[in-house]
Amino acid sequence: MVAATAALALSVTAACGGGGGTDSSNGGAKNAQNAALTGVLNASDKKGGTLELWSSQDVDSLDPARGYYAFVWNLNRLYTRTLVAYDAKPGADGMKLVPDLAGAEGVLSNDGKTYTYTLRDGLKFDDGTPITSKDVKYGIERIFAQDVVPGGPVYLMEQLDQGQKYEGPYKDSDPNKLGLKSVLTPDDKTIVFNLAAPYADFPYLLAMPGAGPVPVARDTGAQYGSKPAASGPYKIESYEPGKIIKWTRNEFWDATTDPLRKALPDAINMTITTNADDMDQRLMAGTADLDAAQTGVQAAARTKILQDETLKANSDTPTTGFIRYAAMSTAVAPFDNIDCRKAVILASDPTSLQTARGGPVAGGDIGVNMLPPNIPGSEPAYDPYGRAQGKPQVDAAKAALAACGKPEGFSTVIAVRNNKPAEVKTAEALQAALKAVNIDAKIDQIDGAQASSLQGAPDNVHAKGYGLIISGWAADYPSGAGYLQPLVDSRYILKNGNFNFAEIKDPSIDALFDQAKTVDPAAAAALYTQINHKVMEGAYILPFVTDKALNYRNPRLTNVYIHQFWGMYDFQALGVSS
Amino acid sequence: MVSGPGASLSEESTHDVADPAEGGVNSTTGKAIEGRSLRQIAWRRFKRDRVATAGGAFVGFLVLVAIFATPIVSLIGHPIDAFNNDLIDPTLGLPLGSFGGISGEHWLGVEPTSGRDVFSRIIFGAQTSIFVAFLAALVSTILGAILGLAAGFMGGWVDAVVSRIMDFLLAFPQLLFSIALVSVLPDSFFGLDGRLSRMAVLIGVIGFFGWPYIGRIVRGQVLSLREREFIEASRSLGARTGRILFRELLPNLAAPILVYTTLIIPTNIITEASLSFLGVGIEAPNPSWGGMLYDAKSYYQSDPTYMIIPGVCIFITVLAFNLFGDGLRDALDPKAH
Amino acid sequence: MFAYVVRRLFNVVITLLVVTMVTFGVFFLVPKLTGSDPALLYVGKTADAAALDGIRTKLGLDDPIYVQYGKFLQGLVVGRDYDAGPDTTHCAAPCFGYSFKTDQEVWPYLIDRLPVTLSLALGAAILWVIGGVGAGVISALRKGRAADRIVMTTALAGVSLPIYFTGLVSAAIFCYWLGWLPPPGYVDFAVNPLEWATNLLLPWITLAFLFAATYARLTRANMLETLSEDYIRTARAKGLRERDVVGKHGLRSGLTPLITVFGLDLGSLLGGAILTETTFNLRGLGEATLTSIRQNDLPIILGVTLFAAFFIVIANLVVDLLYAAVDPRVRLS
Repeated sequence: MVAATAALALSVTAACGGGGGTDSSNGGAKNAQNAALTGVLNASDKKGGTLELWSSQDVDSLDPARGYYAFVWNLNRLYTRTLVAYDAKPGADGMKLVPDLAGAEGVLSNDGKTYTYTLRDGLKFDDGTPITSKDVKYGIERIFAQDVVPGGPVYLMEQLDQGQKYEGPYKDSDPNKLGLKSVLTPDDKTIVFNLAAPYADFPYLLAMPGAGPVPVARDTGAQYGSKPAASGPYKIESYEPGKIIKWTRNEFWDATTDPLRKALPDAINMTITTNADDMDQRLMAGTADLDAAQTGVQAAARTKILQDETLKANSDTPTTGFIRYAAMSTAVAPFDNIDCRKAVILASDPTSLQTARGGPVAGGDIGVNMLPPNIPGSEPAYDPYGRAQGKPQVDAAKAALAACGKPEGFSTVIAVRNNKPAEVKTAEALQAALKAVNIDAKIDQIDGAQASSLQGAPDNVHAKGYGLIISGWAADYPSGAGYLQPLVDSRYILKNGNFNFAEIKDPSIDALFDQAKTVDPAAAAALYTQINHKVMEGAYILPFVTDKALNYRNPRLTNVYIHQFWGMYDFQALGVSS
Repeated sequence: MVSGPGASLSEESTHDVADPAEGGVNSTTGKAIEGRSLRQIAWRRFKRDRVATAGGAFVGFLVLVAIFATPIVSLIGHPIDAFNNDLIDPTLGLPLGSFGGISGEHWLGVEPTSGRDVFSRIIFGAQTSIFVAFLAALVSTILGAILGLAAGFMGGWVDAVVSRIMDFLLAFPQLLFSIALVSVLPDSFFGLDGRLSRMAVLIGVIGFFGWPYIGRIVRGQVLSLREREFIEASRSLGARTGRILFRELLPNLAAPILVYTTLIIPTNIITEASLSFLGVGIEAPNPSWGGMLYDAKSYYQSDPTYMIIPGVCIFITVLAFNLFGDGLRDALDPKAH
Repeated sequence: MFAYVVRRLFNVVITLLVVTMVTFGVFFLVPKLTGSDPALLYVGKTADAAALDGIRTKLGLDDPIYVQYGKFLQGLVVGRDYDAGPDTTHCAAPCFGYSFKTDQEVWPYLIDRLPVTLSLALGAAILWVIGGVGAGVISALRKGRAADRIVMTTALAGVSLPIYFTGLVSAAIFCYWLGWLPPPGYVDFAVNPLEWATNLLLPWITLAFLFAATYARLTRANMLETLSEDYIRTARAKGLRERDVVGKHGLRSGLTPLITVFGLDLGSLLGGAILTETTFNLRGLGEATLTSIRQNDLPIILGVTLFAAFFIVIANLVVDLLYAAVDPRVRLS
């Protein structure tokens, strides 16, 4: 994922810090910390009022094709509908895709290579024009115009280009700008996707905001994010970058066409502030409803919330879906040797890494393996290196060093992004722990804005001798492939923007991914479990924590629940009581 | 930066440029003078100024601390990068105990989150601050002296160009360019490790932006000196330019250069701290006072001790240098007050 | 007089050109030398080579640097056309281009942030001139007495304190512990003048304190010098009242040099604004500068620098004209 705020999966199975009674009798949970993880708090259908979201971070873009922050995807649910969408339910139910613009789930044909969707009746944009399958196709085509509207995920491009080298609608010679060959729109209601090979995760790609409809007449290209067309219950009334986003009701949205969304408030504001501490104060004072970025409160508020039972009851600590980790580059000596990699894992201090990320409640659980808790196939108890007990294993590490032929230790470089304070802190913690076994690790703080060409360019990694690369990752869609493939599949090693930092080249791992694509989800999950084991056995990656965020919710909010996919409150479901 | 030399510079420019060659003798009030050298006179005057002496003593102490930072820290036994998980409340990330975990073992408490010893980090921060500030002042002085001499002595287009550049640099958003330069310059070069090369970058950048202050003073002095009889005399005796510059002019410039170099140091300390505060100075895990203050920004409500300590260190150090510099100026150039 | 102003204005243009060249050099050339690529900022997580090429072409990063510079100047003077995808948009002069990061037009972005920094700077300037000069005058008139010592000690403390430390401590005390002031922020003057003032009070004081300290020391020195001059003695001997001596003669010539200093300080004011805005989380030009530098957002960096330089240069021109008006000895030539 692209940013710290981009969090895209979560677990309810993970131990939730301290919390207490989560009495969730179907939609009527009692107020307590983490009550919103499993049930709906203050369930209500009452309309009206203004939802006051705040954020200390501006959106990356309101253009559905360009946003990549997780909270922006969540906000997109207010104004962008997609063919299918994550269900509006707490717990594991939310991970399921349900038809949204489409009237039913896609019809699979042609040996699993063709998906056909039919749109509902009566769908309209906020200017009253009907939403057609051509608008959906055009929206998807925009993703191909990476020179004009870059920034968002490009999975659909990878699946749908199929050698056409389509350059996006702005350079399209087709008079209707619908020249992408793999997507067909035989009529205004039907859209057909022809894939090159079966791909079980394809519907997840259609649930990303970038697959939402865009009317060609209203597309302003690079400027589209300032006033995107709305297909959902709210439209963007105004957006002042760095200040405020205002949503008002989309008069042309019809509740009967949308079983997902409740659309309770009359208006929604997102006020952007530079002062995160001030935002926390306002949350606790009840003058703000939620932190939209959902990355957790600041240190000052954390202290207050955790020490005050009343405040604590209004907070949740969902798992965000991120694992924070250090990858060991197998192309940089001595990490070509598995025992030297093991030595690093064993010598690291799980507790100081966890504290650096914010501690067990606000930071996350000690990371033990590389699948976050609720990606199908994960095993939260699988702890091959005994990290959960919280102490460094100096003797074992020294033994591993000896096995590696480096009993005197060695020196290496930790590459860490300078714009992520918590990552820098974990780098320092790792450095301090490695010193105990004579591994001398220098910290190289790289320009975070250029990470994709510094950490993500293997040539540079080799030249600079980056043995340890610190990063964080969350899945863009909840499957083992969505999470692990970019990190460990050898075919995902890129010259730029690489995330397989360890440069794992294990044909058996690659083969398992291919196999998982063609089988049913349960069987695929078992295969992802195997991949996770192979990755851990290879000691390629040292997981620090599975991320959590301590978020505060205003008690006046109704219909509150954490949506598992984002690890955040489901913004579109929220209402206000007074 | 904002204060220091700017102030002194303008203060200087409001009265006639002092002439240390004779000023020291002529302007001493009253008492008989029996062949005492300028240096002796200045020293006597300086000694009488108790505040300045105290400042000077503290400056001397800090320089010693900076030089011997490594042995001091290893003597006390808390390496700057040693984590202490047991001294931190894991849930809140705050030091256990009151006042930031101050104890007999950790004299200034421990850092939130990591539990590293604050005292050791302050000592190493002092080393960074003092080294950067001194060496940057040296760079400014050398550049300023050479260019100022050239401008004042050669006049003509050289003077025009140098003066223009000085005006330009002085009226320029320097902090902005320092940030820019520090962030685009490479992290390591000449085979120096991260901390040293970072310090070298800071010294270069801060030193570069400081030279016009010295340059202006030197140029002004040279302008007034070069018309003096003793220069005329040596010129008519056929002395070469080099001799006039370095044997006749430079010694006469020593006093003002010394004073303004001293006064530029506290400004440099603040600038270095500011850059580290803005995240473009010394990088973690190497300690710097500005960096500690930046860190402390997140904890200023929950662990104020952690913020106050580096802040007070900067304050006292800068104050001591200012007192020392003011005293030095008064001693060498009594007309200034 | 007229010829002087024209010549100075010509100088202003030259200076601004130099500023743009220096900035362009630092931010376009140095990244090229160190091998970082602005196009990478523009693409998403998965930066494939074709997309990068497309972006480089679109942003003109492949052009030789003088062509890029020429295009930038052209935008400033006559505006430029930009390819927005479905159609081209015209960016009217003065066109600083579009942010690499957000695709926002730079000029409105700067204008949007200007009020914050302007409010901060103006308020602080008023405070520091009044406070600094006042304290300096008092100190000079009470030389050697308690008032003098208090003022001078405070001033010395003032020049020795970093802005961000004073800022953090005062925010901790007044906003969070005592709760007397709202947490610093910016409320538009037009929306609520009272909140505008109360919200900015701490930033003003923090920023002003540093400058005021300098001004107090300067004023004192200048006043003492002036008061010891012959014509003051003459004025006293003539039997003028002390108030007139100090007010009419002392202040006037004692303060004239301060005007020059004021002009010089405007340059460092931007530095002060960067620090103050960072400390108090204000979203002004200073914060924009820092953010854009961190993100290598070149159009914004160029915009802010040029904008700031423009103000500084113009302010210096005004200061010089003012100087001539106040001090009859100065003739503009």
